[in-house]
Amino acid sequence: MGDDIMNYNGGVALAMKGKECVAIACDKRYGVQNRTIATNFTKIFEYGPHCYVAFCGLATDVQTVAERLKFRTNLYELREQRKLKPNVLYNMLTNLLYEKRFGPYFIFALVIGLDPKTGETFVYDSDNIGAISDNVNLATVGTASEYIFGLGELLFKPDMTPDELFEATSQSLLNGFDRDSASGWGAVVYVIEKDKVTIRELKARQD
Amino acid sequence: MDVCNPPTYDAEEELLRHQKQYSQMDKLLIPAEMRHQPVSTGTTIIAMEYDGGVVLGADTRTSAGSFVVNRFTDKLTPLTDRIYCLRSGSAADTQAISQVVQYQLEFLSAEMNEPPLVKIAANCVRRMIYQYRDDFVAGMIVAGWDKKLGGQVYSCPLGGLLVRQPVSLGGSGSTYIWGFLDNNYKPNMTKKECLELVLKAITLAITRDGSSGGCARLAVIDAQGVERIDVLGNELPKVYDL
Repeated sequence: MGDDIMNYNGGVALAMKGKECVAIACDKRYGVQNRTIATNFTKIFEYGPHCYVAFCGLATDVQTVAERLKFRTNLYELREQRKLKPNVLYNMLTNLLYEKRFGPYFIFALVIGLDPKTGETFVYDSDNIGAISDNVNLATVGTASEYIFGLGELLFKPDMTPDELFEATSQSLLNGFDRDSASGWGAVVYVIEKDKVTIRELKARQD
Repeated sequence: MDVCNPPTYDAEEELLRHQKQYSQMDKLLIPAEMRHQPVSTGTTIIAMEYDGGVVLGADTRTSAGSFVVNRFTDKLTPLTDRIYCLRSGSAADTQAISQVVQYQLEFLSAEMNEPPLVKIAANCVRRMIYQYRDDFVAGMIVAGWDKKLGGQVYSCPLGGLLVRQPVSLGGSGSTYIWGFLDNNYKPNMTKKECLELVLKAITLAITRDGSSGGCARLAVIDAQGVERIDVLGNELPKVYDL
């Protein structure tokens, strides 16, 4: 795997938009270079009823940033007495990551959200020092991101129903990480709609 | 400071290293994934003797760093009708070695007017690896059947060693299954038992090693010839997910 710090633990995450629904998916591998240590390491974290973030990169930073962001969002909810909105979440994340501008965390992030009243969907892609993209249709991060992007662009259609969205997301993810030896070993897909969140575990090749 | 190996400057090695670097043009042609890491058959390879022949097995992944270049590689390369070699290490080096040894054995069998012995084939492979031991990264297993000694497995690892073993493992994935094989191999197994053991071992290695994956390719070599079996991903035996 070379000595690239972002490939040390491996892992990949993907987010895609549909019509009043968003999907976020990640693989479940935790490994150290070649060796797979565990197959239950998901990289998606919940920060609000319709706000999810996925982190990919160095596993220790995935856990640390997830916990530090949770700390900030918990305080926000206590002070403001209301739940988070996706744009607040991504602003907090940008701030958290930019604080470490000259000694950054080794993670890339995906922020997704849904407004339950209007059905407006949000998918944002962040680099490791907090540069957030615009609200995009499709975003991937991780070691297999290039392979998944190709498939994602092909399978994406505007205004997909939740079932079509699930199919497109799972197929891009599963076939994309077949080409990467640092991700895989199972996948989990969250499909977030206005009134419910469906979490499905995919059986993938265990190689 | 290591007194036995003092740091030295070797002009020739410096020149060789410089020559082996990619040219400026290659940087534009070769995709980013393949530029820095050479293509290697990450790999798990196994060969096992049973009463009457040998069983060979390998995974099917070739990787360049973490990019999977080929998901269905054939690492079981024929050297003659009844002798196969299993390749691990640098894909280029092992392909070159097998091609040269194939030629050498064909010539030899024409000279001797009989199929070459497995020991001779293994020696040809070993000689090449030893001669270029500083340059090659090749760990190969030569296994086959001949009239004189029946089924044999010879291991030719990195430095140019040659040793006959009843079971031989190789490749990065083999580290995960030494214990499994130590526990489950017994001499004089039947062909079916050997096939099951090899398949299970490869599956276990594929599950743990990032550089091994894809499907499992098996071969059985005996007096009658070679039987190739490809076991696809969904047909691999179930392994408990720890």
